[in-house]
Amino acid sequence: MSENAIEVENISKLYNLGKIGSGSLRRDMNRWWKNAVLKKDDPYFLTEQQPNPASFDLWALKNISFEVKQGDALGIIGSNGSGKTTLLKIISRIVKPTTGFVKGRGKVSSILEVGTGFHSELTGRENIFISGYTLGMNKREILQKFDEIVDFSGIEKFLDTPVKRYSSGMYVRLAFAVVAHLEPDILIVDEVLAVGDADFQKKCLGKMRDVSQKEGRTVLFVSHFTQAIINLCNKALWLKQGQLQDIGECASVVNKYLGSVQQFNLKQDWDNINDAPGNDLIRFKKIELIPHLENPEDPLDIRVPLTIRFKFWNFTDDISLAIGLHLFTYSGECIFDNQSLSATFNKGLIEGECTIPGNFLNDGSYFVSIVINRDTSIQMYYFEECIAFDLEDYRGEIKWYGKWIGAVRPRFPFKIEQTSFKIE
Amino acid sequence: MLSSEKKNTWVIGSKSSYFDFSLQELLAYQHLLFRLVKKEFLVNYQQTLLGPLWLLFQPVLTTVTYVFVFNKIIGVPIGGTLPPVLFYFSGIILWNFFSESFTGNSKIFRDNIHIFSKVYFPRLIVPLALTITQFLRFLIQLMLLVLLLAYFSFFRGFSLTISWYLLAVPFVIILVGMLSMSIGLFFSIITAKYRDLTNFVDILLRVTMFITPVIYPLSAVKESIRWVVQLNPLSSLFELFRLGLLGEGTVTLPQVAYSVGFMLLSFILTILLFNKQGGKLIDVI
Repeated sequence: MSENAIEVENISKLYNLGKIGSGSLRRDMNRWWKNAVLKKDDPYFLTEQQPNPASFDLWALKNISFEVKQGDALGIIGSNGSGKTTLLKIISRIVKPTTGFVKGRGKVSSILEVGTGFHSELTGRENIFISGYTLGMNKREILQKFDEIVDFSGIEKFLDTPVKRYSSGMYVRLAFAVVAHLEPDILIVDEVLAVGDADFQKKCLGKMRDVSQKEGRTVLFVSHFTQAIINLCNKALWLKQGQLQDIGECASVVNKYLGSVQQFNLKQDWDNINDAPGNDLIRFKKIELIPHLENPEDPLDIRVPLTIRFKFWNFTDDISLAIGLHLFTYSGECIFDNQSLSATFNKGLIEGECTIPGNFLNDGSYFVSIVINRDTSIQMYYFEECIAFDLEDYRGEIKWYGKWIGAVRPRFPFKIEQTSFKIE
Repeated sequence: MLSSEKKNTWVIGSKSSYFDFSLQELLAYQHLLFRLVKKEFLVNYQQTLLGPLWLLFQPVLTTVTYVFVFNKIIGVPIGGTLPPVLFYFSGIILWNFFSESFTGNSKIFRDNIHIFSKVYFPRLIVPLALTITQFLRFLIQLMLLVLLLAYFSFFRGFSLTISWYLLAVPFVIILVGMLSMSIGLFFSIITAKYRDLTNFVDILLRVTMFITPVIYPLSAVKESIRWVVQLNPLSSLFELFRLGLLGEGTVTLPQVAYSVGFMLLSFILTILLFNKQGGKLIDVI
């Protein structure tokens, strides 16, 4: 049974947003008077109604409690604004919690919001030393690690250049190298993968894995690359609007998170024919996207086959209809236009479906539009953007987390063979 | 388990106390302090033409201007037989020490927000480093003053009198340094939250210079309004500085005691306020 490296007890953090103006002095005086002089509760604590809309309070974190064992790698996931960075900042002692406390053990080293507090005018060399001293190390300890840091970050040519002249990639490489090599007991890493290239991502994840698994140190890791989190971490914590949604075994928490965040419009339904989208010729009754998931809570990722099913009323007898399914990327480029064959229909309800196979689309956000044509090419109704969905990434065994390019990501078979052993 | 027991445990709570001050922690970060002093020194002269020579040019040029304007044109009486150059130069370097250290300290939070928001260390390290840097700069300028003194006594017939007051000079310098840091830090806390007060701080500094014996000696101030100048805790320190080095100045013991008392009070108040507010300010800047 290993010890707890971090114990977070009922942490909340209140931010006062909006203007801090003349009102803040009066509020501060009022608060001071009530708190310190009259010994009453904070008059602004936990008030629900906000009298002044220009200045309102936001609970970035609310009643968060959890423990991290020594040697654990904890991935922290949640959408933007869910309080991930605030939580890391509190554990790194940069901001104070409004309530609650954090108990920790050992040196904490963090890289937050892509930076470690480098002094921009100073050289890379100077900054390595300052960061080391900031961690409470001495010169000998820093010198021991110096070559490793330089080697890892690959900046030896620029060691004596002020860091303000570094490219953002170089900056992050150095920042990460410094925090990861200076032997912290707790390593906190916030979103470093977003900046670096594929090679650097691999090195970063490898180093973090070494730190947690080989050296038995604790790692807290925030990333939008959920696949990287599954790969690195043994536990995950999911924050939603400042509240702890779930904590536990990594893959299951990540899957629950992905299953919940997907913003889509999977189903539209009209009972009243008069409200339904369409015109005098055609009106839609129902349109839905049915993902072929084994478990309804699983995330919608690129492996999942998708069926688009639609129902519409046709008001014309003996008509030749063809359906077209258009798939667009979020930025509006058409990926395909899939046309059905023409067939003859009479007045009434018509149903149809079309399935997009799994392992075909790339990850991203998509729109579906449906067009109904008469006599092969005369447009009767074009139902634009009737379905929207997101596909999550899935990398499986591929240990690379850069953006996979292309609108589609099919798996056509390769045939590769060596045809000669000579080089002319 | 031995290794983990050696590791320091820490607790981050929501409350910050006025007495939340650990000298031990500060000492653990002494390497950082010295490195930051070195950094402050280096950064000032990066991308400059003349580099550290500015350290000497600046007070020399100011002295030339002051001698010309206040001595030759307006004719401010500096009293005694003191060469104007020595009088102005000594006043200017001590004032520069105070004002630069004060200004730097009063912007500590705003200037270092990018560091404070990324990494934890005892925040007091930064104002200490800044004040020590200014102190070192002042020492270099002081050496020029000593050279000037030697020149005037050997070649210009200025009779240098070495008295016991010379022993008070280091004490004056430390007092001025601590005063600048504590008042500066006090304003850095206030202005971080209520930013428009920075305008007030600028004006305050300018007004203070005129009620400090920088460009005139205390003896030249009319008796009836001398109390205004004496209310300024810096005044007796400037007079004592000149008395120790140049042999002329008007100092009484109660005035020096007043300055020391003022310094101690402001220092303690500021450290208490800094402990209480330092951790929270990061949310408002």
